Amino acid sequence: MGLLSILRKLKSAPDQEVRILLLGLDNAGKTTLLKQLASEDITHITPTQGFNIKSVQSQGFKLNVWDIGGQRKIRPYWRNYFENTDILIYVIDSADRKRFEETGQELAELLDEEKLSGVPVLIFANKQDLLTAAPAAEIAEGLNLHTIRDRVWQIQSCSALTGEGVQDGMNWVCKNVNAKKK
Amino acid sequence: MIIHLWSYLYKHVFRFWIKWILRQLTGKCELQRICDGSKKSAERTLKIEHSLESSKNKVLQSAVHAPEDEVKKYVALIMKEKKIDIQKDTGFSLKLQMCLLQITGYKKLYLDVEDLRKCQYNSCNEGHEKQLIELWNLLMPHEKLKARITKQWCDIGFQGDDPKTDFRGMGMLGLVNLLYFSKHYTHEARQILTRSNNPKLGYSYAIVGINLTEMAYSLLKNGALKTYFYNLVPSVAQMDHFHRFYCYLAYEFDKFWFEEEPESIMYFNQYREKFHEIIKRRLQDYDVVLAL
Repeated sequence: MGLLSILRKLKSAPDQEVRILLLGLDNAGKTTLLKQLASEDITHITPTQGFNIKSVQSQGFKLNVWDIGGQRKIRPYWRNYFENTDILIYVIDSADRKRFEETGQELAELLDEEKLSGVPVLIFANKQDLLTAAPAAEIAEGLNLHTIRDRVWQIQSCSALTGEGVQDGMNWVCKNVNAKKK
Repeated sequence: MIIHLWSYLYKHVFRFWIKWILRQLTGKCELQRICDGSKKSAERTLKIEHSLESSKNKVLQSAVHAPEDEVKKYVALIMKEKKIDIQKDTGFSLKLQMCLLQITGYKKLYLDVEDLRKCQYNSCNEGHEKQLIELWNLLMPHEKLKARITKQWCDIGFQGDDPKTDFRGMGMLGLVNLLYFSKHYTHEARQILTRSNNPKLGYSYAIVGINLTEMAYSLLKNGALKTYFYNLVPSVAQMDHFHRFYCYLAYEFDKFWFEEEPESIMYFNQYREKFHEIIKRRLQDYDVVLAL
């Protein structure tokens, strides 16, 4: 490390570290979103066995994003990653209407988890690039999001593929990092 | 900094003069010296490839991109450019031709693999559906698939009730690899599937297979697989050879996984990376031969 970089390090305050948990059913687009956030190539994505983690710098925060596989078989492991979560991002495939019920159930169970109580939740209504995608408002209604009262929440339509809407969602995340209700 | 300067000077100044001096001393050009000095293996082909690519001569540069049916023509052109007397060095043209076939064949194979990868699995395509059902029948000969969309798919390691969404970035390449392994190494594939259902150390067979296809694909793309192909195939590599490399990965990964005894499937990516490093190291050996 050169002298200059040491000086620079001393001068600027360290970024606040934020732990973000990325959950949702398999094929919702979590890994694509993660790679989009890290500005990586999104053309070679394969289903996630286990988890991926990446750190992204954004607006003075160091976002440590945990992307956990969504297949039913590994959902029981989700709880191992709840501790110290600052923000929960829940990703939904807006075009997969057949699984809205399943994804709603999983979300409801997450919101009941004690370790996640009060944690702000951002719901990404993903895959808006597809013609068959349901609009965010319709999903919000279907999932009864308006009944959430114990935390701040937001639904954001996006396309992890094209990147549209992703930044808006992340702006909300940065604004609400410290909004965790004790 | 010093390393950069040195490599710049070497590439633009010294390399030329070293080559010139050697040429005067031996009466042979660099390509001839490589052919004489190395045995028939990946080492020779890799050195020839490097020599052609770093040449300032346009004919030599473009030779590595020649289509298969123009390789002979390029060999003649190179010999003319380099003023190589065919009478004096009788073996040279044949050796160069073999190397060029391997070099251009690898590039062509990458394009073919890329085409198959870009081809998305499509449930309306009868051919795709047939291959998917065939995969089931090969892996589960004693159990009939009850419907096209069914939880049974999880038994061979897909994520949900319809495998179509699991191929993703690997497209048909992922399915064709899985199918090739089941078809040509049926016994091994079934054995690995059974092992992958181990309640403690198990993993999702099909999903991990698609992940390993990604590994094989990226090794092909970044050139790491050249040693494997140049040693295995004396002329133009075919798609089959790529599928066989996938079979090797599937077999070796399973062995690796059970030897390592990971705590749970959640650590898959860490172990995948470790396995990737092992394979990359094996491929760095000029004499590497990887076979199931």
